[in-house]
Amino acid sequence: MDMEKSALGIFIAALVLFMMGTFATIILPFYDDEMMATNKNSEARAYADGSAEASGREIYIREGCNTCHTQVVRPVKADLAMNIGPVTVPADYQNDSPHLWGSNRTGPDLMWVGARTSAEWNLEHLKDPQKVVDGSIMPSYDYLSETDLNDLVAYLMSLKPAQ
Amino acid sequence: MLSNAEHSAAKNFWYTAIGWLLISMLAGLVVAFKQVWPEFMGGSEYLTYGRVRPIHTNGVLLAWLSMVNVGCMFYIVPKLLRTKLWSEKLGNFTCVLWNLGITAGVVILATGYSTGVEYAELPLWLDILVAVLAILVAVNVFMTIKNRKEQQLYVSIWYFVGSLIWLPGVWIVGNVPAPLVGGAIQANMNWFYGHNVLGLWFTTVGIGTMYYLLPKLTGKPIYSHKLSLIGFWTIGTFYVWNGPHHLVNSPIPFWLQKAGIIPSILLIIPVWTVLANVIGTMKGQWHQVRDNVNLKFLMTAMIFYLMACLQGPFQALMSVSAVIKYTHWVPGHAHMAPFGAFSFIGFIMIYFAVPRISGKEIYSKVAQNWHYYLSVVGFLVFAFSMWIAGVMQGFAWMDGLPFMETVNMTRPFVAVRAVGGTLMIVAQFFFAWNIFMTLKAGRHYEVDKSELVSA
Repeated sequence: MDMEKSALGIFIAALVLFMMGTFATIILPFYDDEMMATNKNSEARAYADGSAEASGREIYIREGCNTCHTQVVRPVKADLAMNIGPVTVPADYQNDSPHLWGSNRTGPDLMWVGARTSAEWNLEHLKDPQKVVDGSIMPSYDYLSETDLNDLVAYLMSLKPAQ
Repeated sequence: MLSNAEHSAAKNFWYTAIGWLLISMLAGLVVAFKQVWPEFMGGSEYLTYGRVRPIHTNGVLLAWLSMVNVGCMFYIVPKLLRTKLWSEKLGNFTCVLWNLGITAGVVILATGYSTGVEYAELPLWLDILVAVLAILVAVNVFMTIKNRKEQQLYVSIWYFVGSLIWLPGVWIVGNVPAPLVGGAIQANMNWFYGHNVLGLWFTTVGIGTMYYLLPKLTGKPIYSHKLSLIGFWTIGTFYVWNGPHHLVNSPIPFWLQKAGIIPSILLIIPVWTVLANVIGTMKGQWHQVRDNVNLKFLMTAMIFYLMACLQGPFQALMSVSAVIKYTHWVPGHAHMAPFGAFSFIGFIMIYFAVPRISGKEIYSKVAQNWHYYLSVVGFLVFAFSMWIAGVMQGFAWMDGLPFMETVNMTRPFVAVRAVGGTLMIVAQFFFAWNIFMTLKAGRHYEVDKSELVSA
């Protein structure tokens, strides 16, 4: 077949090549036990419908907190030196839908933020970040309602290693 | 309203894309300012950082760049195949629907109805609309190819056919609703989408357009047809595997990380075929770059394309990723291909095609030069400040410095980034003004010799 004259040939070959890579990097992970495992951390993050934590997570997504904060601890020098908690594994995230890994640490990682901060601190900090952390570049969330703020704090405080 | 005039669909896609370029880049500038002054435009939930940022990314990618791409395909495919676009009416209808969809998207993101998945923030019903739009474009292009008068398929057509098959696939994988997947599986699908929408849509349509423009601008046929085909097949083979390289050192299995890292390195092959072809074609023609702003844009775009594709595999290495991932380096890198390479190709295409469609000469060469120099200088200021800040930040984190100290040390660079960003956007106002004035008051345009050279 003369490919330079056959659009159908290009069409089929391009589709097959795409399917190969998709099969390897998207479909195969579904059959990987490590990828599909659950653990106590993910069970602790399976928030009941209507709970403060579940609503707090919605607010976290709505306000785009994940544009500046990651929720991943990697086994690399930076993350170990920053002392941000245990290295995370796929099982920790089994009940995260959507995932909130993030791609930029304009602010610190929040995977285990509940283990190193208090509810009072978080509430103050959300309302007026610069008052609590001098020089912070986080925006103020004082426009959120009292309920929204409390829910968001409940969510943040739930982010800690399961006992 | 739905015109059937020749090239009207391409034209409408481009003109509205320019509007979105200004809007979405302004959103980017707001975000850059907010990193300097967190209270800038603050106090309103609709303008908070976390909501404006997705407006910037979705606007630039789904509105500006994607619409430029569609315009390029609607213009170039009929030209190369000596066949009218299958349906200008359908094309114009797609354009109207596209603009309505993006407008809805901006409102939805500003009001906080985000899925939370980076680059795939739009809700399901808009995802479905975008998929329908992509299919409408594909139908129009494929039907044009089917009815073609010219049998030979020039390499640009290959790239367009490939892109139109890959885009719906990439889009579907990236937008599977969270309740169906979630967790590490979804993070992996997220980056499959985040990476491949660049590589199998923006890159492949951009390179296809470049292969159309290069002979037109230089008056020389491309150096090697075979090399361009090798580039096409290698990008089609290796690119789709690259998603997991965004998750190097992250909580996904090691084999999956490697499945992303190895093809990243092999991607140097398609990049090099493109560069070799450009350099080969330019042999003996470099003097033309001096007086031709479009060629200046093209050569600069190719340099940025090469740089982006050398940085990419480098960053995919586990040791390098361990230092620069999550730092300011990332936005420095992430802007290079979409802005420095493929937006530039979009600019050239519009500068090239508008006189041929409207019969009016580009209004101001001076403004075109300003557009070029401010874009390039602005981007370099932006990128280098981010790269330097990122490396500083990465090593400071490894030293275990308190987080606020690392924020303080990068503060000047973040401010310089906003200056670079300002230059980048001022440049686009020269562009928009120039195109507007061309249509309003441009002198009569005569077809030049480049029309006679076959692609």
